[in-house]
Amino acid sequence: MTNEVVAAPRRSSRRGASFRDAGPPVALVVIFAVFAALSPQFRSVENVQNIVDAAAVLAVVTCGITFVLMMGSIDLSAAGVMGASALTVSLLVANNRNDNDFGLLGILVAVLLGCAFGCLSGLALVLLKVPSFMATLGVSAVGLGVATLMFAGVQPNITDAMLESWAVERFLGFSYLTWIAVACIVVGWLIQRYTRLGRYAFAIGGAEEVLTLSGVKVKPYKVAVFTLAGAFYGLGGVMVTSQLGAGLVQAGDGYDFSAITAAVVGGTLLTGGRGGILHSAVGVVLVMVLTNGLVQVGVSPYWQGGVEGLIVVAAVAAAVIPQRRRNQVVK
Amino acid sequence: MKFTSRPAAAIMSLSLAAAVLAGCTEQAGGEDTAAGSSSCESKDVRLVGQVRNESNPYEASWLAGGDAFAQSVGLKQERLTYDGDSTKQQEQISQILAGNTKCLVMNVLPNGDADTPPIVKGADQAGAYLVTQWNKPADLKPADHKTWLSHITYNGIESGQQIGDALSEAIGGNGGIIALQGVLDTAAAKDRFAGLEASLKKNTGVKLLDQQTANFSRAEALTVTKTLLTKHGDNVKGIWAANDDMALGALEALQQAGKAGKVAVVGIDAVPDAVSAVQGGTMTATVSSDGTWQGGIGLAIGYCVATGKLKVEDIAADNRAFFAKQFLITKSNAAEFAAPKTNPSDFECANVFNRVAGPLT
Repeated sequence: MTNEVVAAPRRSSRRGASFRDAGPPVALVVIFAVFAALSPQFRSVENVQNIVDAAAVLAVVTCGITFVLMMGSIDLSAAGVMGASALTVSLLVANNRNDNDFGLLGILVAVLLGCAFGCLSGLALVLLKVPSFMATLGVSAVGLGVATLMFAGVQPNITDAMLESWAVERFLGFSYLTWIAVACIVVGWLIQRYTRLGRYAFAIGGAEEVLTLSGVKVKPYKVAVFTLAGAFYGLGGVMVTSQLGAGLVQAGDGYDFSAITAAVVGGTLLTGGRGGILHSAVGVVLVMVLTNGLVQVGVSPYWQGGVEGLIVVAAVAAAVIPQRRRNQVVK
Repeated sequence: MKFTSRPAAAIMSLSLAAAVLAGCTEQAGGEDTAAGSSSCESKDVRLVGQVRNESNPYEASWLAGGDAFAQSVGLKQERLTYDGDSTKQQEQISQILAGNTKCLVMNVLPNGDADTPPIVKGADQAGAYLVTQWNKPADLKPADHKTWLSHITYNGIESGQQIGDALSEAIGGNGGIIALQGVLDTAAAKDRFAGLEASLKKNTGVKLLDQQTANFSRAEALTVTKTLLTKHGDNVKGIWAANDDMALGALEALQQAGKAGKVAVVGIDAVPDAVSAVQGGTMTATVSSDGTWQGGIGLAIGYCVATGKLKVEDIAADNRAFFAKQFLITKSNAAEFAAPKTNPSDFECANVFNRVAGPLT
């Protein structure tokens, strides 16, 4: 499998921007083709729907993390923020723990809570000078703590018809959650492309000093980026709650690292200044195709973890080889 | 200067606050220690219950059971949680053991097998009464220790088989099933799956179409089940899950695939949601270890020995490490388990070993 993966970027030249970005999509197509050839169930329409539906939450979380990565920071707060938001939304919409029934308003509050946590990470970064790695890890722990307090020993199950329908009802063959994820990707892309926030996030990751020297105050933008990311995690927590029909403290378990993996596989650099929402979206689909495909072709569960890791490393290697010369990703 | 002093001040004030708090908790100690003779006044007994976290219903019910027992003897349980972090667990234990240990009773859920030996060693040296549950290395035995009173665990092979049998009965003894395994390198996952394999050997009409791990997680089970449903389609008549969280994830997947009620689902652990699902008929069966009982019984055994009502020498060898009784919950008896509560008579000193189902070998 590996030889197809590395074939793509080899022809990329030092400059060609289009070639540089072609690695992950080519890897996606190749991996998809390999699985499709191996398993007839994999290439069924039903399974493609399944893959896309399963990617929805990860896509939203990855949207958030991508902005932070573009800026050259890192964000490990997704798990905690999602847990807190999942518990919040499940206690605010119709549920079995209390008589609340705020519907959309409850969802909005959960997303705003995510914003608040993101803002907290950002403030810790710029005011207290805590490295983003530690600040966000701390915020994640705070989020899990808040979630545990709200959990109070009894799992809140949601009975809100609207929130439950998000995971079950379909529009044009895909669940509502998938369309929400698509909307997030579009919004994320618009922010990245057309707003000062998005452009500065890139610039901060590329060359923060230059930006500061030219008189831009970067601190507010850093806080804003973390706040934006928090909003995406908050929404992610809401979506997990919709899928599982219950508010779980562990709603965000593993999403922090899967999202970083997806972003990096898609070609967003951990050093910042490269990649973007669309790259990350490709990365998300690639990761989901991989987990789904390994089950579909019948790789033993005892082997899957290892095989998946190997393919991810190979895909990242394929994606970054053209950029190695830039001396940015080898550290 | 301004910038550096602020965090420094923050850290100082924080540590000051921590010191004050620590001072408060240590006051609880009091008299001098003179380990050995085991007859404490009931009011001097200090009850400690330690589990991973309070964010899952099972461990929350464990602590609730401990509280219920403590209340029944007019005491209060100290609740400790270590977030599934082995280091943190050891720190908490050594902190507790550094205080007054004369009439200390600990009911501990070790994070993993390897975490048990240091806890046992510490308790032994301090003369604190200890009951452990679920995890211990096979060669470490309570019978070789003076104050490690008992180790309680459950036979995973048995529960895996029980729900396997219930599942094949639900699908009429014929058809394909899929299995969701737990974290593959844990004893619980291995034993429970071995139980399923034993059940499959007996029920020859049932075919295991596929087995995947969902790491005991509801969210992972949702994704894996959806994938397996597209892979095997209508051939899937039943889903065997190594715990209830995964079973509940599978139920969501069935609902999203429009197959709710057409596929039988079984799990283990009897978390409240699963019990009500069994009661409502969407789930076929689950197995209960009775978390509230577990939380109370460890403290009860220790309390009985500490107050001299039970002598360590009198505890039968088979009761020093045993499999406790577990209960298969189906629709017929789900109502009894819907509201978990403790039965005070279970915790009377003459009855503390009533649920021994067999010695742990």
